[in-house]
Amino acid sequence: MYGIIAFFRRNYFAVLFVALEFFSLYFVFRDNYYHQAGFFNSANSVAGSVYKTYSGITGYFNLKSENERLSEENTRLQNALSALPDTSKHVKVPKTNPYGDQYNFISAEIIDNSTNMISNYITLNVGKREGITEGMGIVSSAGVAGIVLSVSDHYSVAMSMLHKNFQLSAMLKKGGAFGTVVWKGEDYRYAWLMQIPMSEKVTPGDTIITSGYSTIFPKAITIGVVEEVTPLPTEYFYKIKMRLTTNFKKLRFVYVISDLTKKEKTDLEEATYKANNEGK
Amino acid sequence: MINELAKNTGRFFVFLLIQVLILKHLELGRFINPFLYVLFILMLPIRTGKALVLFIAFITGLTIDMFYNTWGMNAAACVFMAYCRPWVLRVYAPKGEYDASAKPTLQSLGTPWMLSYAGTLVFFHHLVLFFLEALTLSTFFTTFAKVILSGAATLGLIMLSQLIMQRRRQ
Repeated sequence: MYGIIAFFRRNYFAVLFVALEFFSLYFVFRDNYYHQAGFFNSANSVAGSVYKTYSGITGYFNLKSENERLSEENTRLQNALSALPDTSKHVKVPKTNPYGDQYNFISAEIIDNSTNMISNYITLNVGKREGITEGMGIVSSAGVAGIVLSVSDHYSVAMSMLHKNFQLSAMLKKGGAFGTVVWKGEDYRYAWLMQIPMSEKVTPGDTIITSGYSTIFPKAITIGVVEEVTPLPTEYFYKIKMRLTTNFKKLRFVYVISDLTKKEKTDLEEATYKANNEGK
Repeated sequence: MINELAKNTGRFFVFLLIQVLILKHLELGRFINPFLYVLFILMLPIRTGKALVLFIAFITGLTIDMFYNTWGMNAAACVFMAYCRPWVLRVYAPKGEYDASAKPTLQSLGTPWMLSYAGTLVFFHHLVLFFLEALTLSTFFTTFAKVILSGAATLGLIMLSQLIMQRRRQ
């Protein structure tokens, strides 16, 4: 017993070092494998309010370009609207947005964002009070931006598309082949589209959109444009370099997508799973 | 003593804000990410208990992690750096011992001393940080390039802020 006490007194520095290092590494690895976004991130009130105050100040410097972007978005939406056939006379359309009653778009402002790490995160000025929950998708006016990971009362933290663990089911607009979009910690302007079979015809300039297979993003939201196509002969797939349509360095105003049928879908899946297990 | 405590607490907040509001958003490409905030730990008085430095480094790292969403990476890097600090201080000690009045600053111990002291510890810090960020050795050269280039940027900023602090004092 005295021997143990004497050991700790002699080596207290090394023991404390190992203990603190163990704690730190525990956080690092836990986060890496489980994505458990706990309290200790920029969604908490301290970090959130610091970022919010600061972005409130710097926001003024971007007003001009932000206005231009909004006006461009308006023009694009007006054009899309006028191109739609006028169906109001023939059918009753209960829709309030293009995605009907399934999706609801919540507007949000980015108060912090990074692009030069291997795992980048976005902090938003909306949280539980605005109806944000974990797992919601984030899009900019140009395309997909990220997925919400952690939510506090007033803020939320999202995994940016520029994150080494980001994966998104996608498809080629032309041809409709399905693949997966990943980012490998390199250039913030480019990502990779994997698992497109070599039997498909892919040419630079083709648009890549969301597939709608998950409950996170609706179908047909733009992700990027094919930049370079490399065949991987041993795997029968292409490795496609894509240019992202969202400019992550200029990102400021975004929409968080809430899937109103998500609960119904997951409940149904759970019930089916339960019923199956009881039957066994 | 109380004066010293107030000075260091003030420094903590100043370096924290500079790091998370300005340096985090510097757009110098993915290879250059300076972490000036470590200067706060480097500048703790030489006679600070080494266990206390370890603990302060842990808290500082965790705070930075909170703003960077890096959960523990900066804490691990800072704790490692603080563990090496007494050893680095001993290696670079001027003939014999440090004076009672000596401070780990450019003003007190000179440019060559500050360069080697800060350079060594910044290298250890960045080594742990960037390899934990990559969490793989498959990108060894890219990660090592980040350590060297970001380390040089951090060291440059450290020397610059030391010069500014020195000038302000005169």
